[in-house]
Amino acid sequence: MSWTFPKLVPRSAPLVLLILTLAAAVAFAAVGHLVSRFTANQQARGRKLYVLGLADASAARYDDAIAAFRAALTCDPANSQYQLSLARALRDSNDPRRLDEAESYLIALWQRTPQDAAISLALARVAAHRGSIEDATRYYHNAMYGVWNSDPDANRRKARIELIQFLLKKGAPDKAESELIALATSLPPNPAAHLQAAQLFEQAQDSANALAQYEEVLRLDPANSSALAGAGHAAYRSGNYATAQRYLQAAVNADPQDADSRQLLTTADLILRTNPFHSHISDAERNRRITVAFEQAEKRLTECATQMNDDFKAATGSPASPLSSLQSRWTAAKPNLARLRSPAETDLPDSIMDVVFQIERQTAASCGPPQGLDLALLLISQKREAVTQ
Amino acid sequence: MNPPIINPAARNSPSPLPQLPVARLHIPRRLFSSFEGVFHEELFFLILSVFIGIFSGLAVVCFRLAIDWMHLALLGPLPQNDGWRLFAVPALAGLVVAAIVIHVFPSIRGSGVNQTKAALYIFNGVIPFRTAVGKFICSAIAIGSGQSLGPEDPSLQIGASIASALGRWLKISREKLRLMAPVGAAAGLAAAFNAPISAVLFVIEEVIGRWSAGILGSVVLSAVSSVVIVRWFLGSEPLFRIPVTTFKRPTELIAYAVLGIVGGLASVVFAKSIGYLRPRLKALPRWTQYFQPAVAGLLVGLIAFLGAPQIMGAGYDSMDQAMHSQYTWEFLATLAVLKILATTVSFVSGTPGGMFAPTLFIGAMLGGAVGDLERHFFPQLTGSTGTYVLVGMGVLFAGFLRVPMTSVFMVLEVSGNYEIIVPVIIANTFSYLVSRGLQSIPIFDLLSRQDGLILPSLEESREETILRVEDAMLPVPAIILSAQDYVDANARRIQDSADSTFLVRLHPSGWNTVSRDELQRFFQEGKGELTLASVLPPQSLPSLYPDLALDAALRYVNVYPLVPVVNRADSRQLEGVISRDSVFTKYGSTQRVAGV
Repeated sequence: MSWTFPKLVPRSAPLVLLILTLAAAVAFAAVGHLVSRFTANQQARGRKLYVLGLADASAARYDDAIAAFRAALTCDPANSQYQLSLARALRDSNDPRRLDEAESYLIALWQRTPQDAAISLALARVAAHRGSIEDATRYYHNAMYGVWNSDPDANRRKARIELIQFLLKKGAPDKAESELIALATSLPPNPAAHLQAAQLFEQAQDSANALAQYEEVLRLDPANSSALAGAGHAAYRSGNYATAQRYLQAAVNADPQDADSRQLLTTADLILRTNPFHSHISDAERNRRITVAFEQAEKRLTECATQMNDDFKAATGSPASPLSSLQSRWTAAKPNLARLRSPAETDLPDSIMDVVFQIERQTAASCGPPQGLDLALLLISQKREAVTQ
Repeated sequence: MNPPIINPAARNSPSPLPQLPVARLHIPRRLFSSFEGVFHEELFFLILSVFIGIFSGLAVVCFRLAIDWMHLALLGPLPQNDGWRLFAVPALAGLVVAAIVIHVFPSIRGSGVNQTKAALYIFNGVIPFRTAVGKFICSAIAIGSGQSLGPEDPSLQIGASIASALGRWLKISREKLRLMAPVGAAAGLAAAFNAPISAVLFVIEEVIGRWSAGILGSVVLSAVSSVVIVRWFLGSEPLFRIPVTTFKRPTELIAYAVLGIVGGLASVVFAKSIGYLRPRLKALPRWTQYFQPAVAGLLVGLIAFLGAPQIMGAGYDSMDQAMHSQYTWEFLATLAVLKILATTVSFVSGTPGGMFAPTLFIGAMLGGAVGDLERHFFPQLTGSTGTYVLVGMGVLFAGFLRVPMTSVFMVLEVSGNYEIIVPVIIANTFSYLVSRGLQSIPIFDLLSRQDGLILPSLEESREETILRVEDAMLPVPAIILSAQDYVDANARRIQDSADSTFLVRLHPSGWNTVSRDELQRFFQEGKGELTLASVLPPQSLPSLYPDLALDAALRYVNVYPLVPVVNRADSRQLEGVISRDSVFTKYGSTQRVAGV
């Protein structure tokens, strides 16, 4: 077999170049047609494989999903959706070796469309899998401020909530709290959204903001029992016992089986009934509460000493234990009770209650968490200390 | 550089290259007659290079589509679902390919690089167009069916063949026609790799075998235009998605040097396996050639069936996954070994296809394995698996193909990351040195010698000892005459000298010679009171520089009895002289040392 080439009759260079240009144009068009047909076939095949991969991924068969997405990508290598899905499957397969490849796909996609929020979110999740707070925060922020194809507000909220949950899981409540404050300003008037925010605030140990969110839920849905209990708990933790009592009472009324709320309600009642620093009580009532607290402290001290076999009443020569020293302070302060009625002794209630609080704190440290009135006194002491600071 | 010669010992062995009709050798003036002075041949050749790039790029696009289509048709999109296909398809395709090669395209066996090189140095630039057609069809079937070969070598030859056909069609001069094949080869390789710089360097290093400014422009133009075409149709996606590559501590270079040594050893094993098996299989009875590709396919299919389908075809997807730490070091090492085996049998069986992609594959797997292993024992190493995989690719390229410069630029161009240039250079250098130390003949030279051809190579020319003027230079003569002095004064100066010819310094610069007889004649003719300048013929000798090749002196020593060798910074400062005797004496002593 042999090929011969037709002879080009006119041999002038411009004509040759013209003919070559025309030949190139024809060949270009022919190859273009061929490529477009081949590409169309490949894309159709790719779509089938992609659907297969999606089904596998949704059934958590990640190895099969990865194989299908890879095959889809060989049919349509530039398809961003396939790359994104493959990256997600690689990431979700829980194989640390696959995170590199997932990240590589996602970074390539991100470089092409840095504004694409879905890609940034996928990258953020890879970074979260790696446990990198810095990278995850950066990519989650990219996702929040990026472009979403549908329902951008809800998707941005979801991304921020995911970031908050990641930060809480990684033990970074301060960073989580700042994200939560930003989240709180963008919540829709939806009880569920505010309820979730309130619970996240509680996990971030920000009871005040948690209470505000629970109250927002109750404004939208006054009968929401979770919100009632949550508000009561948040108010209790933030030392707002009057509010706590109100919400806890409502929670117990709404759900009598709620033992936690009932217990907290009992303590809150006790605090409100025994707090000598309450602003709307008479001097006589204040003195009575101080006397009750003082006697309770002595009782608690004795019980704790018994529990610890600390016979501080008999000890004379040995070094003073903390409990015996407190006993001494209590004994020294006891005569002051009689002087409470004197209007000139304005500092006396504080000094007596200081002894009580010290006893409650020390016994809590030495003999375990207190109960009943002792718990109330301990919480009053903590609130008092917080107010003083 | 040695001239290309036909090895006399191999004259009787069947050459894979047919004796081709030599192209018309006249320079077709008519071609340039219309725009004389505007379209001179040099400019036309440059423009033609762009068209070669375009046509080669279009052909390579079709070639890649053909391979993909074959792969889908024969193996399906998810080959692991059909185990029997893995086993049977490469063998059956091998039978078909063998029949086509034997009966329709017998000239397509062998390396496209060597055939292009032979076209340049032996066949006046002629590569039959049917070679391109045959390579296209058979390589597409072979690679698409999973034979362990790559599409780059066939692409290179398709490009060279198109260029050669175009040159013959346009009846360009023999000198230019010879250069058409390398220009087309660069276009084909650039399109296949999507890497124009590496293609240009490879063609210069391996195909042309010398640095030539005259062809560089054309090679670059064709490579760039073909890459533009490929990117137009197939997109600009790189071959690999490059992960984050790092190189932090200089001490880590030791780890890369170890990789280079391992890569060099693997290159030697790979090259020696091919060098050993290929002539033995060729020597088997002719009927066995029908089955050799099938047996190779059977072995490849068996390896794939038993759990390593990654070794099938070019393997770019697997390299990509290796780069992203998808395999353990044990599996990476296994893949490297199996790929050497599979590629060796595929190539030596005469199945059309190239070794570029398999070389990259073996290097990638080896790099990943060595890197992971090193990091296992030295956790403080910061290089990622991807970094070692990338460096490993270059290592095998440098060691097996023996193209050290191309190997460095290949890695840089593929990765787009210059941070790893130092590890790449270090590893490639070690690999190249180990390979050269243990295997003196590079693989392409080995293949061409097995085919009875001895073609020049850049490596060979790099190692040639070049004689320079200073090697044959005689010391500055004791007597140097001055052209400003009188003839009788000069005659008195040479009275006691035994020399017959004397160097004359001209004013203000330049040199001439005068013989003892001439001086005596001038004196006897009564010209003793005249200056030497006035009686000597008005000429200035050419002068040489000490660093020039001694070959440059040959054109003067037969004309002039003495040639001055002067300083490059001051042409009046004489460094020595050179004569015909001194040149020939030097050449003679060199030949004696070389045992010629």
